[in-house]
Amino acid sequence: MAKSLGIFVTNPDNMRHVVGVTKAAVDKGCKVKLFFTWTATKLTQDPEFEGLCKIADVSICLDSYRKMGFDQNVVPAGMVKEKMATQTQHGIIIEDYECYLSL
Amino acid sequence: MKILHVYRSEPDETTKKLVEIVSRDREVDTFNLNVENPDYAQLVDKIMAADKTISWW
Amino acid sequence: MEYKKSCFIIRNKDYALDGMRSALGLAVENMYAYTHLLNVEIDKLDDNNLDRLEMLRDMEGEVYSNVQANVENNGFEAMSVEELGEKLREMDVIVPYGIK
Repeated sequence: MAKSLGIFVTNPDNMRHVVGVTKAAVDKGCKVKLFFTWTATKLTQDPEFEGLCKIADVSICLDSYRKMGFDQNVVPAGMVKEKMATQTQHGIIIEDYECYLSL
Repeated sequence: MKILHVYRSEPDETTKKLVEIVSRDREVDTFNLNVENPDYAQLVDKIMAADKTISWW
Repeated sequence: MEYKKSCFIIRNKDYALDGMRSALGLAVENMYAYTHLLNVEIDKLDDNNLDRLEMLRDMEGEVYSNVQANVENNGFEAMSVEELGEKLREMDVIVPYGIK
C-alpha cells in the first residue's frame, strides 16, 4: 500500500514540481493532499490547477487568496468553496499524512 | 533516521551548512529538482523511503 | 500525546509575516511552531503582528533570527546558523518557506 503524501506549497514558482510530484504519487496509488498559502495561491490561476483538483485533495488559504487581490467569492476552477480555508489544512497534512513535502 | 534533502535550486553556503548539521550521524539521501526534467516518480519513491524530507528553496 | 515540532525558515522579507502567521496556525493546532528569519532583516512589527508573536509565545513557540537588527527591533531571540542547524535536528517538520 502506497503511503499518503501531503504537500505544502509556499512558492509561486514551483507549479511544474507540484504537478509532477502529485501526478507521480497518484500514479503510484498514493493519496495526496495539497495546501497552497500566501503567494502560492496565485497558482489557482494556473491552467494546470483545475487538473490537480481532480486527482488530489486541494485546499488553499482563503486569507492569503484575498491578500493576493482575489475576490473570495470567486472560487477557482476545480475547487469547492469549502476548500478555501485556513492554516488548519496544513495541520491536517502534518498530522494525518505519512509523508510531507514543502514546495 | 533517514533524511531526504531535496534541492529546488543550487544550495548556497548557508543551506550547505544547515544540511551538514542536520545530516550529522544520519542516513542521508538527496534529490535535485533543479534540472530540466526531474524524475518525479523517483522522487516520490525517495520520499516514501525517507523518515523525513526537507525541500530546500 | 507527543506534540510535533515544526520550524519555518524564512529568507525573504516579503514572506516573513506570512510565515509567522502560518507558524501560528500550526501552534493553534497543538504543535510546537518556530520560525527563523535567516539572513533577512524585517521592519518593526506593527501591533497586529506583535499580538501574533505574543500568541505564538503563549503557545511555547518562538521567532528566531541571526540578524541582530531583528533581535533589537522586534525582540526575536538570537540564533546563529549553527544553532539553527542543531534546532532543526529536533524538528518533525522543516519548512524552507517561500522563495529565497
